[in-house]
Amino acid sequence: MLSDEEKQRYSRQMLIPGWDQERLKQATVLIVGLGGLGCASTLYLAAAGIGRLRLCDGDTVGRSDLNRQTLYSESSIGLFKVDEAGRRIARLNPSIVVEKFKVFVDSQNAGKLAEGCQVIVDGLDNLESRFVLNKESFRQRIPFVYGAVHGWLGYAGVFYAPQTACLACLMHPDIVSRDRVPVAGITPGLIGLIQASEVIKWILGRDTSLLGRLLIYDGTDLSFEIISVGKNPACPVCARA
Amino acid sequence: MIIFLKAGGELRTKLNPDVDYYTRRVETERGQTLRDILTGIGINPAFVAFAYKDDKVVRLDHVPVDGDVITLQPPVSGG
Repeated sequence: MLSDEEKQRYSRQMLIPGWDQERLKQATVLIVGLGGLGCASTLYLAAAGIGRLRLCDGDTVGRSDLNRQTLYSESSIGLFKVDEAGRRIARLNPSIVVEKFKVFVDSQNAGKLAEGCQVIVDGLDNLESRFVLNKESFRQRIPFVYGAVHGWLGYAGVFYAPQTACLACLMHPDIVSRDRVPVAGITPGLIGLIQASEVIKWILGRDTSLLGRLLIYDGTDLSFEIISVGKNPACPVCARA
Repeated sequence: MIIFLKAGGELRTKLNPDVDYYTRRVETERGQTLRDILTGIGINPAFVAFAYKDDKVVRLDHVPVDGDVITLQPPVSGG
C-alpha cells in the first residue's frame, strides 16, 4: 500500500496511463557499477520509487570521476561509492531500501548478487564483468539492461535470453577494448537514463523498446540508431537453450 | 564488386573514409567474408565489436553482396 506521502511524491508520474506505483515499490533492482552509468540510473530509479535498490561497487570515489558521476561531490573523494550513493538516495527518497555491496562482480558472487532481483542494470566499466553478468542474467532468467560508453559514443540494450539474444550473441569476448576509456560526462548520463527508463517500463509490464535491440548513440552528430540483435546460433552462453 | 563500409567512434580513423565522413568504398571479390574484407583493408577484426546491415546485426562470417552498406562499431567498454 502506498502511504499518503508516497501518493503525493509520485503524483505526477501516476498520472501516466498504466502507471503502477505499487509495482515499482515492490521491485528489487540490481545495479552493478556506480560510475557514470550507474550514478544516472540509480538516481532516477530512486526518484521514481523503485522499492529496493541493490548497489554493487567495490571502488572509492576519485577526483577524475566527478565529471560524470553525479551522485558524488568533492567531499566524497576517497569514500566508497556505495556508501556515498546510499547517503544521496537517503536524502532524495528515504523510503527506498538500499542494499550495499562493496565488491566487484565476478563469477563467484554474481549469482548471489542477482538473486531475487527483477532486473539487472549494467553500470560496469569493462567487458569481462559484463559477460559475467550477462551469463548470470541468462542463468537466472533476469533481464539484463546493458549500457556502455566511449567518448561521445554510447550503447544501450535489453537482453532477456533465451527469449531474445544475449550480450554474447552481439559481441564475442575476444574483442579488444581499452582499460581507461575517454568519456564525455554527458554520454553515460544520457545512456544511464535510457537504461533507467527501460527498467521502469519492464517492471510496469510495458513494451521495452530495446528488448532484443541495441540503441547506438553518437553525440558527435547527435545520431540515434536502433538495430535488431538476432540470436547467434553459435552463442557460447544461450545457444543451447 | 563494390561494398560500402561505415564506421562509428574511433573505428572511423582506422577505416579511412573516402566517400564521406563515415564511409569507405571497398572493391572486393565475391564470396569473401566480412572478416576477410576487413583483414584485406588492414582492420583487425578484433577491433570490431559488431557490424550491421539494414538495421540487423551481421556476423563477421557474413558474405556481403554487391552494393551492401555495412556499419562497423567499435568495442565500447566504459561506464
